[in-house]
Amino acid sequence: MARAASAATPRTNRLLDQLPARERARMIAACEEVELDFGDVIDEAGGTIGHVYFPTSSFISMLVPMGGTSTLEVALAGNEGMYGLPVAFGIPTSPMRALVQGEGPALRMNAATFRREIARVPALRACVDRYIYVVMSQLIQVAGCNRFHLVEQRLARWLLMTADRAHSNTFRITHEFLAYMLGVRRVGITEAASALQDRKLITYTRGLLTILDRKGLERSSCACYRTDLTTYSRIFN
Amino acid sequence: MPGGNGGFEGCASVAGSYGGTLAPSPVSVCSVTHIDIARAGGGLESVRERTFVRAEAHNRGPPALARSAMPNPKENHLLAALPAAEYRRLRRHLTTVDMDLGQVVYESGRPLDFVYFPTTCIVSLLYVLESGASAEIAVVGNEGVVGISLFMGGETTPSRAVVQSAGCAYRLPAKVMKEEFSRGGALQHLMLRYTQALITQMAQTAVCNRHHSVDQQLCRWLLLSIDRLTAPEIVMTQELIANMLGVRREGVTEAAGKLQKAGVISYRRGHIKVLDRPSLEEMSCECYDVVRRETDRLLPFHSATLTKSSGKSPRRAAR
Repeated sequence: MARAASAATPRTNRLLDQLPARERARMIAACEEVELDFGDVIDEAGGTIGHVYFPTSSFISMLVPMGGTSTLEVALAGNEGMYGLPVAFGIPTSPMRALVQGEGPALRMNAATFRREIARVPALRACVDRYIYVVMSQLIQVAGCNRFHLVEQRLARWLLMTADRAHSNTFRITHEFLAYMLGVRRVGITEAASALQDRKLITYTRGLLTILDRKGLERSSCACYRTDLTTYSRIFN
Repeated sequence: MPGGNGGFEGCASVAGSYGGTLAPSPVSVCSVTHIDIARAGGGLESVRERTFVRAEAHNRGPPALARSAMPNPKENHLLAALPAAEYRRLRRHLTTVDMDLGQVVYESGRPLDFVYFPTTCIVSLLYVLESGASAEIAVVGNEGVVGISLFMGGETTPSRAVVQSAGCAYRLPAKVMKEEFSRGGALQHLMLRYTQALITQMAQTAVCNRHHSVDQQLCRWLLLSIDRLTAPEIVMTQELIANMLGVRREGVTEAAGKLQKAGVISYRRGHIKVLDRPSLEEMSCECYDVVRRETDRLLPFHSATLTKSSGKSPRRAAR
């Protein structure tokens, strides 16, 4: 998604920031900085992973294809995480489609280099393993969330997660895209978004969505949003 | 169950073939007699009694029957895939444990003291809602291990783990597991591959929960379960299935009724038997196939062991 206001966008990746200074510098030196565009498909499900990505102000969505055009987003990686975990498992292919959802820069590293580094640097292994734990917790949360929570709660959660990774309360989005991400019909999104708008939590005009009341939106979201944040800070702090 | 002799077919390799004959044997230095009343509404019909003897007791030339029936850590495919040196290092720390239907192995958010390698049991990983409602996000049988969050630096588990099919497992102290994992050898490699397989299963379940009907989900669930058992029969209450699938009990009753009417399964007093596997696969959503294929791809030794040990015919013959 195109950020409407390119506010304070971080040039750093929080996962790499966990490493000791020397290792961090080495990692960054071995990466190249790339610009990711909204809608870029980094890998298709089943495709070989050429590079792992450490988003700095971009973010990448992991989607499970459902046959036809239908999909479901199951994970989102921004500057708090990385894309390319299968490489850390010693597996060269991606089980999901990786789609750029928030445009901007990312650091990327050749998959072979990453595999070598993770075997060589225990601090990197430990840090990535912790991130795997976070991703797995999020997946568990998503599985439950999909089963039990209402579209409105899920939409609120998704908007909060996206705003966190976009580092902005305003972003461009279509109802169609939201329906695609949340795996629901478009009309369901329209209803849920109107309800949030009626309560003055968000505004949505001509494709531009703004979060007006973050606290209120958090209250409208299911607890899954909070749980994800708590897990991350528990694991990394 | 046909011939309903009170045996437990789901655990056939351990309990079924014993028939009690080995229980009083003098070699059974650490035999365990176990009586269990399944708690989850199964009633008295699921009272079972089984006896098993630890592998060590049979090291001096047991009869052929006993050898095939005794619990062996290598019935778990991950342990079986370890190179000899790693296996020997772990072997002396492994202890057999009895896993009862409905038993909570871990509670979500609690510290992990052990990891469990199922041999004949199946453990279900559940997402638990604030309200107490739950939904299964993955199943772990003899292809896997319960407690992988341990080596990821999470000292607690993000899900609840409940025994979905009674049987045996081997448990390993968390400390030993962590030490072996941090050596960076074969165990680490295996665990990471398994983690990827589990992540795929979780992602697919998230999708399945969203998109597929209870009928399809029940088929998927039954297929994933019997793949992890030696006989196509599960001892289970509809209530537990409802908890697993995160649906109301009536939904499960209805779906199971349809399958029974179609001659695909038989369901009697807590025993579900799959009669027509190809039809069950036809009626399941694609999620079963995705998970199955991905597990086979990531853990190739797993499918090899499966074919070898159970002599099952190749899957998908009907397609």
